[in-house]
Parts: sequence; C-alpha cells; structure tokens
Amino acid sequence: MGVVILLVMAVGVAAMLTRRLPTAFALTILAIVIAFLAGAPLTGENSVLDTVIQEGAPALAATMIAILLGSWLGKLLDETGIAGTLVRKIVEFGGDRPVVVALGVLAVSTLVGTVTGSAPAAMLAGIIGIPAMIAVGIPKVTAAGTILMGIAAGMPFELPIWQFFSTALELPVDTVRGFMLKLFPFALAAAILFVLIETRRRGVEHAWSLKSASAKPASRRKQLGDAPWYALLTPLVPLVLALGLDVAILPSMLAGVLYALVTTTRPGEMNKRLLRTLYGGFEIAAAPIVLFIAIGILLAAVKLPGAVEALEPLIKAVSPQNPVLFVVVFTLLVPLCLYRGPLNVFGLGAGIAGVLIAAGIYPAVAVLGIATSYNQVFGVSDPTSTQTVWSAQYAGVTPQQVMLRTLPYVWAVALGGFCVTAATYL
Amino acid sequence: MTAALLDRATLAEIGALEATDDIEFGVRLLANTPTHESRDHDRLRQWARTADEFGASLAHVAPTARVVESGDGLAKGLLARYTSRPVPTVELFTDTLALAEELIDRLGWRHWYPAGSVREAAIAHEAVHEQLHHGPAKSALKQSLGHVVLRAGRHRLYGHVAGADEIAAHAYARTVCGLGRSPLLLTAALATVADPQQGSPHGREK
Repeated sequence: MGVVILLVMAVGVAAMLTRRLPTAFALTILAIVIAFLAGAPLTGENSVLDTVIQEGAPALAATMIAILLGSWLGKLLDETGIAGTLVRKIVEFGGDRPVVVALGVLAVSTLVGTVTGSAPAAMLAGIIGIPAMIAVGIPKVTAAGTILMGIAAGMPFELPIWQFFSTALELPVDTVRGFMLKLFPFALAAAILFVLIETRRRGVEHAWSLKSASAKPASRRKQLGDAPWYALLTPLVPLVLALGLDVAILPSMLAGVLYALVTTTRPGEMNKRLLRTLYGGFEIAAAPIVLFIAIGILLAAVKLPGAVEALEPLIKAVSPQNPVLFVVVFTLLVPLCLYRGPLNVFGLGAGIAGVLIAAGIYPAVAVLGIATSYNQVFGVSDPTSTQTVWSAQYAGVTPQQVMLRTLPYVWAVALGGFCVTAATYL
Repeated sequence: MTAALLDRATLAEIGALEATDDIEFGVRLLANTPTHESRDHDRLRQWARTADEFGASLAHVAPTARVVESGDGLAKGLLARYTSRPVPTVELFTDTLALAEELIDRLGWRHWYPAGSVREAAIAHEAVHEQLHHGPAKSALKQSLGHVVLRAGRHRLYGHVAGADEIAAHAYARTVCGLGRSPLLLTAALATVADPQQGSPHGREK
C-alpha cells in the first residue's frame, strides 16, 4: 500500500507541476485519497471527515493568523511609505556605487523578509528596490536575485515561518528559533556573497531605453512623501520583541502594526488606516492561508496510523542515518524542492516531513533542519513560487534566469543547513 | 515602419512632443526614475537643467568600449546598451536605429538629426556612462546637482540623484554629435511609434 500512496503522491506532484490543479486543491485531494488508501473510515476516530478534514484544516490556525498579521504589517509598510523611504535613502546615500545600493536594498529586503514572506515581501522591497537598482546600473537578473536573496536572508527570522514549523512539526517555538539562528549566518553570507560576486562578475549595465522620456501619471506615493526616520525602525520591532525579549509571535507582530501606525499616522486617521490596511492584508494573506489549510489537511492524512504503517518501511529504507550520507543525499535532492517538487515544504514536502516524524525515522528537530534548509532554496529559486515569478517579471527577465543565477548560492545555504542538522541532531 | 504607424493621432502626439522643450524631457526621465516620486516638478526641472548643462560641458572623450550590434532592440525597447563586464561594451540595436533614421526622414527632422547621427549619438551616450562609471566625473555631477542629504555644521553630504547621469549622457551626445534637439525628443517619438511590448514595468530599462 505504501507504494500506491507514493504513486498517488507522484500524480499529485505532476498535477501541481503541470498546473492542472492549484497546489492547495491538489494537496487536499491527495490527502483524502491517501486517507482512504490508508484504510481510514469515513467518520469517527482517525477518519477522513473528522480527523483529516475537520481537525486538519484548522491545525495551522496560529500560522494563518501570523500570516495575516504579517500581511497587515506589510500593507502598512507600503501605505505609509516606510519601505519606499528606506530604499530611497539608500539610493541617495549610496547611489554612486551600485554595489552599495544593492547591499542596502538587500538589507531592506532582509528586514521586510522578517515581517512577511512570499510575493508581498518581494513587492514591498522590490517595487522601488528593483528599478532603483537598475537605475544605478545593476543588471536586471542581479536586481531580481538581490531582492529574493534578501527575503531569504530574513526568512530565518520570519515569525509566521517559526509558527508554521512549530505547529506543523509539533516543536516548541524556542526549538525552531534555535535552529533558525544557526541557519541565519548561512543565509546572510550567501545573500551578501551573491551581491558582491554577481555585481563584480556582471559589472554595471546602462541602456538607452525607448521608455525613458515617456510621460507618466503621478503616483499615489507623491502625496504620501517620506516616512519619518523613526518609523523606518518598524520591521525591527516584532523582531526585537520576539527574539530579544521572548514575547510571543502574535503580540510581537501586533506591536509592529501599532508602531508603524503611531509613527506615521495622525490620530484622527488611525482607525481608517488600520481597517483599510487590515482588509488589504486579508487580500494578500488569502492565498497562503488557503495553502496552510490544505497543508494542515495533508499533514493530518499522512499522520494517520494506516498511512504511517504503510510508508514507514519504504521511507526508512531510503533515509540515510549516517551523518555524512545524510548531508550528501539531502544536498543532492535539493532540485526536488523546485518546480513544486515533492520536497517543497509548502506542498508535498510538508507531508513527507510529517511522515518522517510520525514514523520516527528522524527526530523532529532534524526534520526541521531538512525542511527549513529546503525552504531557503524554494524561497529564492523556485521559478513557480510567487515571489520569484513577481521579482523576475518586474525586473523584465524570466524566473528561469533568476533560478540559474541564484541556485548555487541557495544550494550552499541548504548544504550548510544539512551540515548543522547532521552535526547537531543525528 | 508602416505608414499606418504615422496616422493623424500619432502625428499629433509627436507634434506635441516637438513643442516640448528638451529640459522637460529630462524632467520626465527623472519623474520616471524611482526615488523621485515625491519630488515636485520645479526641483526635478532644476536637476534636469543642471544635469543637461553638466553633460553638455563634458570634455570630448574618445569611446574606448568595443561596439557590437544586434537586431532585437525593438523587442527589448532599447536603442543602445553599455555593459562594463566582461569587457566594456556598447551594444547597438540596429533595428531600433534603422527605425529612428526612417522616422527622422518621415517627420522632416533631418536638420536636427543629420544622417548617421543617431548611431554616433548612441556610442557617445554610452561613452559618458563609461566615463561616469569609472572616472571622477560622477562626483562632479553629484556636487553640481547640490542635493544635500546630510548637514553637520559646515559639512554637507551630497546625495545621488538617480537618472541625472542619463540626462547628462543625452546632453553630451547632443553636443558632440551636433544635434539640433536632445536625443530624448527622438526617444519619445520612437516610443510613440514603436510601442515596445517588453522592458521594465517601471518605465526604464536603465
């Protein structure tokens, strides 16, 4: 039966890859089929309706709220001009040297990446950051890659991600935070190296463009102006509270929302702005929330006793226990998290992680190491992930060009993550 | 280019461009450049004028970058491109240059843009980017623009004005190639007829 389940999973991956089914729908259907194959009854204990759907769908509720708060904060950063002001200041102070501008935008992306992930983060940092980099001579692929590498460098501190791994892998937030702190230096080093090496390798690029003299309507930002300097500290607020003062994730993010509000908005306009940005945040958070509902359902399905029993011998047979082999095998498997592949942690990879833990093949914290390392690759290079598609298209290049340029760097981050995991937890 | 591309509406649009002064095209270029969203028109105009004067006064330098040609400029929305690596190179897009020459003839702008001057201007334009990228002219341009971002007593820190180098490059090309109008007027006219489908969504390739 394990083989049949794996075949069904392969069909699910194919459906996602070929875009016949949206990822969330594919994962939900996959979960229900797996549950039936595992011999789950329709209702009652360990059943399809009660356990997989009813209990699975809200299983990642805390992550969904964190995603919503992150999107709300992201919307505020955008509407109040905080993100735009950060980039503008960087260009004004360092515009003479393209590498300085790229490093500055990288820092902004990292900060934004700690607040919210995926496409909203790419948009926050990239809407001004990408054209600003191109304007000072950074080639387009490097500009798009800088945004993505920056977001990925911030990912280890992204509070909704802590919440996701904590809930999905049933680990305390402290444990997740502890591993993320170990992963961060690799992500940061890779991001900085990307900027330094790529700007050196590719140099600068200036073009006489047909669009340069076109008339353009005034943007909304024209009326907004710059945000005050103390408002620019907003992305640090949740981070300092959660990391430095051990405040829980949701209140830390709410504090960030309030800080952004009081530092940028007149008292009379606060209510209006809060509501407007909150509703805007719902719109941004809709897609990831749907995905987390589906992931919760899939996790519930693969954790069913029948599924664990069927998959355990198969996965045990191919899962290396030797630390060196562990690093080699999982490093070689990195491409499988691209193109919505089976190791994508925001897809079937979450289910596989669930099986690895439920079957007791690796300790949960080692699975955390595997999942977060793959997440660093997926978050930057997957040409089907929304942030990669958006950044590439906005810069005027293809997601595949960005993947090829960034993959060596994030592959090295994953290698670092696997080494830490093998050395610490195996 | 077909005759249909120069219909009455397009000609009216180009007529309006023709009536716009060269500095205003510099203002549009700055306005299209990110980081200037909150700047008022007068300030942008002052920067455009200063950058134009700076470019026009730059000493003539012989271009040293190698020149290569390719034919996909219209698809990319480009006339020319300078890349510093692996070796400084100016890429000329022959299809866009050919369209530019044809448009000049059709609009009767030959007295402003003599035959072959667009190619020459493209090389001169990119030579300035090379000069501004590698030489001391970059800080001279910054100082002349006078955009103070930090003040401490008598000390002032001048900020970078994104897009000013582009205006300087066009002004230099206009001067050394003896053009009657800024290459930016021709750029705007070309954009009207070429309607490039690709390029950066923010309005500039550079």
